[in-house]
Amino acid sequence: MKYLWFGWLLAAGISSCSLPANKQPDSTVRIRWNRDPENLSPLALPNQNAVDAATLLHCSLLQVDLSIGTYSPALADSLPQMQLLGDSLTHLRYQLRRAAAWDNGRPVLATDVAFTLKLIFCPGLPNEKVRAPLGFIRDIKLDPSNPRRFTLVCRGQAPEFGFASGDFPIISEDVLDPKHSLRQFSVESVAAANAAEPTLAALATRYQQANLEAHPERLPGCGPYKLAVWKKKQYLTFERKTHWWADNLHPAPLVLQAKPAKLHFSIIPDDAMATLALRRHELDVLPQASARDFKRLQESAAARQSLAFYSTVSYEVVTAGFNTRRPLLRDSLTRQALSKLFDPVRLLQATQLGQGQRTVGLVHPSDHRYYASSLPLPTYDLPQAQILLQRAGWQHRPTGWTRPAAGGQAQRLALMLRYRGDEPAFQTIALQFKAAATQLNIPVELRPTEGSSLTTALREGDFDMYVRIQKGNPFAFNYASMLHSRSVQEGNFSKFGTPATDRLIEAVATAETPDQKRQLLQRFQVMLQRQVPFVPLFFLPYRLVADRRLQNLYPSAIKPGYSAPTMTWATATAALAQK
Amino acid sequence: MMQLGRWLAAQVGRAALAAWAIASLVFLLSRLDTAKATDLLLGEADNLGTAVLRTDIDATQRQARQAVEQRLGLAEPLFYVTRTKQAGAISWHWHGLHNQYHQWLRGLLHGHLGLSFRDGQPIGPRWRAALAYTLPLTGLATLGAIAGALLVGLVLAGGPQATLSGWRAGLHTLLTGLQGLPLFALALGLLFVFANPDMLNVLPAYTGSADAEELWDQRALRLVLPVLALVLAVLPELALLLAHALRHELSTGYATTARAKGLSNSKLLRKHALPNAILPLLTALAGLLPTLVAGAVVVETIFALPGTGRLLAEAVAMHDYPVVVAGVLFSALARLLALALADALYAWVDPRIRLVP
Amino acid sequence: MSLPVFRARTAGFWLGVGWLLLVLSGGLLAPWLPLAFLPAVPDLQHVAEAPDWAASPAHWLGTDPQGRDVLTELLYGARQVVSISLPAALLATLVGALAGGAAGFWGNKGLRLPWAGWLAGAAVGWWGFALPGRWPCSLALAGLAGLAWWHCRSRSAKLAGWPLPLDTMFQSALTLLGAVPRLVLVLVFAAGPALGTTQLVVLLVLVAWPEAASQVRAQMLRVRELPFVEAARAAGLPTSRVWYRHALPHACRPLLATAPLSLAGLIGLESTLAFLGVGRPPDIPSWGNLLGTLQQEPGAWWILASAGCALVLTLLALQQLARQLGQRA
Repeated sequence: MKYLWFGWLLAAGISSCSLPANKQPDSTVRIRWNRDPENLSPLALPNQNAVDAATLLHCSLLQVDLSIGTYSPALADSLPQMQLLGDSLTHLRYQLRRAAAWDNGRPVLATDVAFTLKLIFCPGLPNEKVRAPLGFIRDIKLDPSNPRRFTLVCRGQAPEFGFASGDFPIISEDVLDPKHSLRQFSVESVAAANAAEPTLAALATRYQQANLEAHPERLPGCGPYKLAVWKKKQYLTFERKTHWWADNLHPAPLVLQAKPAKLHFSIIPDDAMATLALRRHELDVLPQASARDFKRLQESAAARQSLAFYSTVSYEVVTAGFNTRRPLLRDSLTRQALSKLFDPVRLLQATQLGQGQRTVGLVHPSDHRYYASSLPLPTYDLPQAQILLQRAGWQHRPTGWTRPAAGGQAQRLALMLRYRGDEPAFQTIALQFKAAATQLNIPVELRPTEGSSLTTALREGDFDMYVRIQKGNPFAFNYASMLHSRSVQEGNFSKFGTPATDRLIEAVATAETPDQKRQLLQRFQVMLQRQVPFVPLFFLPYRLVADRRLQNLYPSAIKPGYSAPTMTWATATAALAQK
Repeated sequence: MMQLGRWLAAQVGRAALAAWAIASLVFLLSRLDTAKATDLLLGEADNLGTAVLRTDIDATQRQARQAVEQRLGLAEPLFYVTRTKQAGAISWHWHGLHNQYHQWLRGLLHGHLGLSFRDGQPIGPRWRAALAYTLPLTGLATLGAIAGALLVGLVLAGGPQATLSGWRAGLHTLLTGLQGLPLFALALGLLFVFANPDMLNVLPAYTGSADAEELWDQRALRLVLPVLALVLAVLPELALLLAHALRHELSTGYATTARAKGLSNSKLLRKHALPNAILPLLTALAGLLPTLVAGAVVVETIFALPGTGRLLAEAVAMHDYPVVVAGVLFSALARLLALALADALYAWVDPRIRLVP
Repeated sequence: MSLPVFRARTAGFWLGVGWLLLVLSGGLLAPWLPLAFLPAVPDLQHVAEAPDWAASPAHWLGTDPQGRDVLTELLYGARQVVSISLPAALLATLVGALAGGAAGFWGNKGLRLPWAGWLAGAAVGWWGFALPGRWPCSLALAGLAGLAWWHCRSRSAKLAGWPLPLDTMFQSALTLLGAVPRLVLVLVFAAGPALGTTQLVVLLVLVAWPEAASQVRAQMLRVRELPFVEAARAAGLPTSRVWYRHALPHACRPLLATAPLSLAGLIGLESTLAFLGVGRPPDIPSWGNLLGTLQQEPGAWWILASAGCALVLTLLALQQLARQLGQRA
């Protein structure tokens, strides 16, 4: 009698688990996110999940097409026509699709694009983050004869302007500026204006009052989905609009397809819990699965029957970098020697279980045109490291390596390695490096650092070596923020840069023909291998695990790594036929 | 009664004052370094996402940072006075009422906790929403821990005093083992045993749900594993404390007298030894009460509950200082009130204890 | 405190002592033992592998998710336990007992500092914080302090000063440490160099003393009302002696139960600190780090079994010692 309550609990538990796994009555797809998007206003997209949500709610001129790996026209009806004026201006001519319209039926016009640009450049709004990559746009010129045609005037000349100029969500003029008070301003004057200017201040007030961070539905977009439910830090549900303007397009381009009736994003911060939810069919798609979870799921027979596994090589490369301003590391021979103490083969096997790919430089190995496959891959070579150190002037003593320096004081080879403490793969790399260095009698101090403190320390140059993940860009070869001497205060943590390398980087970024680009990139990769401001260890794999019945996921290395609006459920008979 | 009233008033007053002092300290400390907060708002500078060769990268980033600081109100002076060291001499400057601290204090007195850095939303409603998830979890866990500790402690103390023998020794070892296990190992272990399709698949794991119209008992079942994890984490120490104190009481003179008079061991334990031995248990419980407000980060992260523990931990990681300061204020207030409650409970359990305001 | 009276020592006591000696010797002798693997050297071909006794050289207890040999880490980690965790636990208990005992015995109104003491403290504070008018004001305060002291000396009766609010200070310190520990650690220590042994012990003591202190304070609230304390005071003994030799030993009773268990918390705290980037460098083996790797690989039962067993046995051994200490006539 005393334990009746326990028996009831057990019975309730067992009865609840005997319920069938959630069936999808109407093509709902459940995807895992590991953090909350925080802010769905199209002006302030603080993390990748917010960007993905904005892609569902709004449309841009150009959107990333995961099947071809580059941008594709969405609201625009084709890629922009580029016209170079003189040597400092570029004109990009766009035409919007005829069918594009807002939810109330009003067509999407060039005035909406102009308004969006002015909103992005308006002072006093929280738009700093989205403004930064669009800084090259100076103004917009509307075509008086065609309300859907316009030209973007850009500062400078680079081939990547075409893609970058179309990658921002277009916002309707009706909600925030119904009286069209901003039409009297040009984009240039808005960008240069004071926040106290009355019209702009009124716009800012209207924006704050709309409180878009908590109520993004107050600014409806022309995208295929609308936000149905948002429970902060728990889940978001997007519902397909019943009538969307792109439904009438035949054939529908991939970026304008939206098949699932509902998209449900569950926010699960813990990886083990997410794997369990996938196993219990409470989730359908698990993006960015870790190596261990991937392996564990593949080893389970029950999981293999119901799940499909996808793996590609991402654009994120694990690099170990040097502080080239330190006297110890100023010469490239020492850096080359130290780079031979890393063992990329074994590290790849140990941390990524063999997936991912080694590389000679920053260019992705899958890019066959530009990847310098003739260059040797970095390998583990202790004897060669010793020879290189001796060639650099270091002498091996019982206490360590010393080198006479100008000014009398001898230099002693001792290093401090910084890395993010909460990433176990970095810990393995650091321990392997330290073990190899100990064999050569080089003392290494390991300093795992917390994320934001690490960025500050790297920026201030308070380190000898670092290990971190360098995020790459599949669309452009612009290494200025990493290696140009102008970015020493910001993104160039190795503090590397000579006039010759600066010129090479600028030439790579502005190269126009593919042949030119190939030659320059070859020179660039050779230069990187010789100067070694950092050692690219390997490209990380991108792993996706999904329900077997889901199709058209387009797993790819480009963020987010899958295409949510194109996913469809294979019918039962088709699934049986597959088996 | 008057004595109790005065004492209570003094305690509450002191609690409010101390909580304000601690929150102010954290406020001043946190804003000494605002670079990290603005960095996190602007994102990383060195990913190759910017497809354009900008020759003014530094200037743009600096402008962006200044704009953010202006918007968040971080450009103003920090306190009423600042101390600067110029050429070896220390000097103090008065800034008047126009500083960050004064604005925060004024908002606090009006009941506004400020706006979060990350999304500009008021903090009060966010905290309330998070509390709605944490309170059921930690409340149930505390009740379960009290009940469990009393039960297990009484059982453990029931045998002869000198040595622990037989199954009691086994229970003692089991409790010590549970104490040594880290909390995340406990939570993951429970998950992998009770919610794993490969093992017993009896309890739901994930606390969020797509089905908004779920019955309350299904939702209650989803809380079983997190509550169980928390109870098993705190139970061993409480039970072992209580058992130790009870065993000491059983060896005193009055216990021997009671036994000689024919009182059964269990009645002796429950009616006579327990009120004397419960003091350490009350102290340990007072230490647990602040988690009701501050939440349990590990359990909330693993079981995906958006509670106050996770809110505070994420705010610290993202350097969202207003949320952190509000969290510190609440948890300091909760702890001080818990200490006052504990003192009152001591006086209730043992009338010999005097409460001096 | 009088020497503890040892009764007949049980087998459990000897087993506990034996285990602790084993841990101590393992830590000290680890560099000379014939171990197949070095500490903190990852074996990248055998990462997170279960114990495999057939291979050669064999990982007797398996490897952790970084590839380090578990047996080597346990033996070398014993050093960390003996040099950092155990002393920190004992020191935290000691500091907690003294602080809690004082706060409980004297409360807010019991301990009175003479005026000279208050003024001297104010002078030091004024000078230390370099408040405006640094030299003149602190000298003036020091002068007043001297005046008060001379005045007190010249009269036979002691002038009562202000009471030192020990209880409020205690509660505020408790709250401060409880509300902000991790935040302070992140803000203050995060980017700096790894902490040395002494600094880490001090940090651990700072975080762990409140628990012991509250227990002793609660017990002291009751003990100070007991008749024997009143009798000692009535006998004319000075208050500090009554506190130290009569009341405190009785108030420290709950510590016999909490002190051994606090070791588990401290070892877990070390791994949390390493996670935040504070604490010992990651290539120094420790039991806390080993248990912490379970988060990366929850299925590594061999790590839980070996490190967990070692920790539980140490806790049990300490409990046996505490029980012996507590058994008196």
